Amino acid sequence: MNKRKPLILTATMLLVLALVLAACSSSKGKEQNAADSAQPAAATADTKTDGSEGGAAVQGGTLSYALATSPDTLDPHRSGLAVAVRVLRTIYDSLVVQLPDNSIKPWLATSWTVSDDGKSYTFKLRQDVKFQDGTPFNAEAVKYSYDRILDPATKAANAVALLAPYESSEIIDDYTIKLNLSTPSRAFLGNLSQALLGIVSPTAAKKDGDQFGLNPVGTGPFKFVKWEQNAEIQVERNPDYNWAPETVENKGAPYLDGITFKIIPEEATRIGSVQSGQVLAAETVPPQNIVALKDDKKTQLLQANTVGLPYTLFFNEERPPWNEAKARQAVQLAIDVDSIVKTLYLGTYDRAWSPLTPGTFGYDPSLENSVKPDLTKANALLDELGWVKGADGIREKDGKKLTIHYVDGTPNREKRNDIAVIIQQQLKAIGISVEVEITKDVRTVVFTNGAYDLYGNSQVNSDPNALYSFYHTAKPNGTPTLPRLSDPDVDKLLEQGLVETDDTKRAEIYKQIQHYIIDQAVVLPIYVFPYTVAADRSVQGIVFDTLGYPIFNSASIKK
Amino acid sequence: MREAVTASTVWRRGGRARFATLRLRRLAAADSFLIGAGIMIAFIIACAAVPSLIAPYSPTAMLTDSIMQAPSRAHLFGTDYFGRDIFSVVVYGSRDSLFIGFASVLVGGLAGGAVGALAGYAGGWVDSVLMRCNDILMTIPGILLALAIASALGKGLFNIVLAVAVSSIPGYARIMRAQIISIKGRTFIAASRSVGAKPLHIFWKHVLPNALSPLLVMATIGVGTAILTGSGLSFLGLGVLREIPDWGTLLSQGRGYLTVAWWICTFPGVAITLFVLAVNIVGDRLRDNLDPKKNTKG
Amino acid sequence: MAGVLARRLFSSLLVIIGSLILVFAILYVLPGDPTDTIIDPSVATPEVVANLRHQLGVDQPFYIQFARYFGDMIRGDFGQSLMNSEPVLGKILDHFPATLALTAASSFVAVSIGLVLGVLSAVHRNRPIDLIARIVGLFGISMPTFWSGILLIVLLSLKLGWFPAMGSDGWKTLVLPAITLGTVGAGFIVRMVRSSMLDIIDEHFILTLRSKGLSERAVMYKHALRNALIPAITMIGMLIGEMLAGTVVIETVFSRQGIGRIISDALMAKDLPVVQGVIFFSAFVYVIVNTLVDLSYTFIDPRVRRSA
Repeated sequence: MNKRKPLILTATMLLVLALVLAACSSSKGKEQNAADSAQPAAATADTKTDGSEGGAAVQGGTLSYALATSPDTLDPHRSGLAVAVRVLRTIYDSLVVQLPDNSIKPWLATSWTVSDDGKSYTFKLRQDVKFQDGTPFNAEAVKYSYDRILDPATKAANAVALLAPYESSEIIDDYTIKLNLSTPSRAFLGNLSQALLGIVSPTAAKKDGDQFGLNPVGTGPFKFVKWEQNAEIQVERNPDYNWAPETVENKGAPYLDGITFKIIPEEATRIGSVQSGQVLAAETVPPQNIVALKDDKKTQLLQANTVGLPYTLFFNEERPPWNEAKARQAVQLAIDVDSIVKTLYLGTYDRAWSPLTPGTFGYDPSLENSVKPDLTKANALLDELGWVKGADGIREKDGKKLTIHYVDGTPNREKRNDIAVIIQQQLKAIGISVEVEITKDVRTVVFTNGAYDLYGNSQVNSDPNALYSFYHTAKPNGTPTLPRLSDPDVDKLLEQGLVETDDTKRAEIYKQIQHYIIDQAVVLPIYVFPYTVAADRSVQGIVFDTLGYPIFNSASIKK
Repeated sequence: MREAVTASTVWRRGGRARFATLRLRRLAAADSFLIGAGIMIAFIIACAAVPSLIAPYSPTAMLTDSIMQAPSRAHLFGTDYFGRDIFSVVVYGSRDSLFIGFASVLVGGLAGGAVGALAGYAGGWVDSVLMRCNDILMTIPGILLALAIASALGKGLFNIVLAVAVSSIPGYARIMRAQIISIKGRTFIAASRSVGAKPLHIFWKHVLPNALSPLLVMATIGVGTAILTGSGLSFLGLGVLREIPDWGTLLSQGRGYLTVAWWICTFPGVAITLFVLAVNIVGDRLRDNLDPKKNTKG
Repeated sequence: MAGVLARRLFSSLLVIIGSLILVFAILYVLPGDPTDTIIDPSVATPEVVANLRHQLGVDQPFYIQFARYFGDMIRGDFGQSLMNSEPVLGKILDHFPATLALTAASSFVAVSIGLVLGVLSAVHRNRPIDLIARIVGLFGISMPTFWSGILLIVLLSLKLGWFPAMGSDGWKTLVLPAITLGTVGAGFIVRMVRSSMLDIIDEHFILTLRSKGLSERAVMYKHALRNALIPAITMIGMLIGEMLAGTVVIETVFSRQGIGRIISDALMAKDLPVVQGVIFFSAFVYVIVNTLVDLSYTFIDPRVRRSA
């Protein structure tokens, strides 16, 4: 007992040290945080009202916008997370922009031509653009940006895949650039519109090297101010901005003085902070809150469906018995997707019917309602294959139980684990036992070992060519695809789709592919993910780009 | 040799001594909580042993037409977002929760106790080496160690147990070592050594039995701590997904519904809290009774 | 004395190195690698992944990677985050004050609640107040912190609007997380204060004082409480480790910055340099604290002070 006394000294010393350090840190915090703590951010100085009827945008104010997770980096070429794109889009512009009808329109490029062989694109660039650090935007900057992605030292991630099959650029003159591809690709222009292929300031990128992601500079409507890890990212109005694309109403500088992206991982806190006025907007509203928000007078809900591949469960076609179409069809008939979507998402998510989402070019609406749950037929199919129900209600054949090894790679993002839980119960009804494995190590489990019968994934993409990397036979030594499908007919169609220049014909090709995939039950499409934002009623003008990312150029805060 | 009594005699003797000195009124008040805690633990163990007798519904039955229903006569604790009866899920969920609690204490307590006993009794360089290893484990906060181990081993009930167990080893080892060292120094040990008893014999017959009581207290409370650590892992995304989830998983997966359907996470949370509380009450009482100093005090 | 100090420092060094090796080994056998987080496996070609692995240095064998981190660390270079190349040391120093503030505030809450409840329960020994105080104290230890934290957020922030629900600027953001974490510590302190006060009350000198005619109240508060404060404050020293660990969960619940948040994120992403840096840092703090404690035993003989 008497050994304790000296400990008090230590403990007290520690406590004092802690308090001193804490005091330092909180005073540092205060100076940076005048605008936005608990008070809604609207009250900022230079507010001019142009026409108070609510239609015209109000100048000024800082929008606090809660993100669900933290971006990994603000270097577009190195980032791999969708959450980063929401911030990246405010800082960087792209050469072109994609419209909701999937046409491609000018942005930093004013016009372009494609060579007859489809292997080179010549862009004319805007001449009035400059980066936020004053560096002029020109052909040199474009070449630098794209070559930077190919440079291994950049440690580029998803951008490399998006940029393929880009090979090199030739600067024709200051404002004309020719991009050379190794093979033609109809997806290339669409990809150039994505934020991950945004144009970075060569001066800043060269100066900061691999620290560029912490000091990002682009040509976008907002300038980077600071990033407090795990807390917030601030961007401020770029007063020189004057080159917004067609998709944006406000062509000039943004109305907002700035945006503070706050990182709030807890769902209840994130949404609750909007309702209690601690932030003005919050992303990724869980379905149960969407329903509750509909009756909320103070809060509005903004929503945009994402495009590309919906959340889809991929069968592993290499693992018997799921290599047989009949076995897969039995599962397709036994799973009541409507009930899953209704139960878990309470009618706030759309059910997916096709391997593509409705907004994507070539989507085939005729697939809608093409599959209906039918347990009798499902049972009959399994009976036909010789799987007989055993004592425990699980089917067996040659002493082997009929099981599905269901792998999910996320900690219940978008309630994906819950889908597995329901499917487990639904398939029990036709005598299939489902083992669920939640793993972080998707690369090993799924791609290297192929140890799965069902695996779920989705992808935001601007072009139906996204199907290529999922359904085309994998290269002999390449990464296997998720369904591990190898069908010469599908391969041929996918190859044609990539190069077909006639849009009608191209759409037809993708419709054939979608039909094949659903008819053969290669995959089970589940839901289309809507990007949702809960915002205070005073927030106006947040719109979404074609891929479902928020655009803040025209956003404003009504007094 | 008179002091060489087993833990259970200490317990009985202490209990009797207390009883004698307590006034009856106070005893009744104090023990009502102990009795309450005992009933709670017994009930929860019954849930784990024979859930089908207690739960009115199957824990996996999804009544999709009555999801997120508030508590009612039909569903005592309401229904969750799958349409499962929460009371039934909580009753069945006690199995995995108790397994996490007891198994990790068993593994961690045995391993930690063994390390501590060896270090304390052997002394010298064995002690130094083992305690430095223990220090290494102690420098890494328990939940982080559990987090690292759980993500290294992958998800699975036993991996969670192992992760929680390993992170609890240093605590047990320290207590055990301190206890062994203090007993080693007592006169009766020297006495039995002087009459020629073998060290191993002394250890088993005299040292270990006397050193066990603090470990026992720690282990009792450790069952609760293990369940809490396990739920913390679920919260950090490293829980297990089993057909019938444990309380920690239920609580962490239901927490997003707190503002729209409070009952989904509240009841699993209450179950955890009540069980851990009960275990702590019992542990506290054990501690009071096993503390030799307290034998004559109230 | 110098010899004791040197031996102590040497063994501390061993412990730090040991914990670095241990964490490194655990992370090494951890499935997957950092590229999983920064590149979508379904779009990554094997060449891109291989290049990325090479650039990040994670394609090297265990001992080479470790030797490299360790070598750099000795030279004061804690490396850069694999995710965004942020220097690790800067990152830790940026985030440490927030964690320290939280730990200090939680200790304050823990001691305040713990003392009040502990004294109440000792003074009213075995009466209903005692039992209620003990049960209230035990509640703190018995609730999962992420749950009590969320309950506090919903109640005191979202519904009543008294305190902000998240962030780490200013004292207001500290209130809710400190209560959440502090109530855990309070449970332990109640226990400690109660039993040490009872010890002292029953000790001889109190009996003597009482026989001298001091009122029971004066005995309780003047002597027993003062003596019970010592173990309570001592307890904080032991609880600081617990609380630092608690920040891993609390900082996520309350969207605060801090060391706990960094390391759990880094563990998930397998961001080795960051994990190593934080572990080194926390091992360092731990060892320093313990060495100070042990040394103070040697320098100040407690018996001397006791007899005074």
